[in-house]
Amino acid sequence: MNNIATTLKNSAKEPVRIKIILPTTAYFMSGIRDFTLSLIHNMTDFSEQWAYRFQSVVDELCNNAIEHGSRPGEEIQITFINNTSDSLEIVVEDSGTGEHPMKAAELDKLIEEKSKSSELDMTSLRGRGLTKIVKEWTDELRFEDKVDGGLRVIVKKYLHDTKTQKLEKGLSLAGDQTHIVI
Amino acid sequence: MATSITVTIEDVETQDPEMTVKIVKFVGQLDESNVDEKAQIVYGLISQYPKNLNLILDFDGLEYMNSKSIGYLTDWYGKVFESNGKIIIAKIKPNILDILQVVGLTQLIKTFPTMEEAKFAVLNKTE
Repeated sequence: MNNIATTLKNSAKEPVRIKIILPTTAYFMSGIRDFTLSLIHNMTDFSEQWAYRFQSVVDELCNNAIEHGSRPGEEIQITFINNTSDSLEIVVEDSGTGEHPMKAAELDKLIEEKSKSSELDMTSLRGRGLTKIVKEWTDELRFEDKVDGGLRVIVKKYLHDTKTQKLEKGLSLAGDQTHIVI
Repeated sequence: MATSITVTIEDVETQDPEMTVKIVKFVGQLDESNVDEKAQIVYGLISQYPKNLNLILDFDGLEYMNSKSIGYLTDWYGKVFESNGKIIIAKIKPNILDILQVVGLTQLIKTFPTMEEAKFAVLNKTE
């Protein structure tokens, strides 16, 4: 895969799109995480730290789609769009047939409310995936209601932007102030 | 392709008879497919030792954790803290530390680079 990926990376002027369709089960998610890591390593200029971050972003988006968006036996779709040297876009779509499907407007409101609250409830069991991990580690986060039902979540991360630099600097693991040495 | 995770528990000797110290070692990945089941191992310890339980989570072999497993971690912390105990983390990998930082959990749970430092902190109650 490395040779093909390198060729694609070097020659691609147009965005490279990769679509994956998954049954609604968490069983396949470790494979999707491995694929995400490999894709970022081989086909983009993002750092290893960001490869791991995208792994989490993809995992959280897919888990939400599986848990809320599509009922068992149906499918979710993941699309990776690699704009070489510019950005990476990830689109996750569900069918809207899950137990607790949400509309785009509801999710917009949820994200807005969470970003307004000064502190996350540290003791809560849920609520960190979309509002912390996905929101913090992407530059754009959009929700769209699909015409045929279901939700489309679109996230985008630019390779060169101040947020990337700030996060990499601020969360530098080498200089991590929370990693206590006694 | 199913996600593999093993959770093992080890006793740590302590001079204080009132105090229980355990190392809980995670090897593999904690995700949606396994976290509900594996979380019960830690809840079992919390039930078994309702007072002064100190847990050192050995994350040396932990390769991935999702938001739900972070939720369980905070819940364990709350329950153990209420009963006069502590939870700390040892030997965490950079990608796991990164995710704990982004959700703000490193403000709550201390991390130590080595097991020796983690044990010292618990046994000498410096944490």
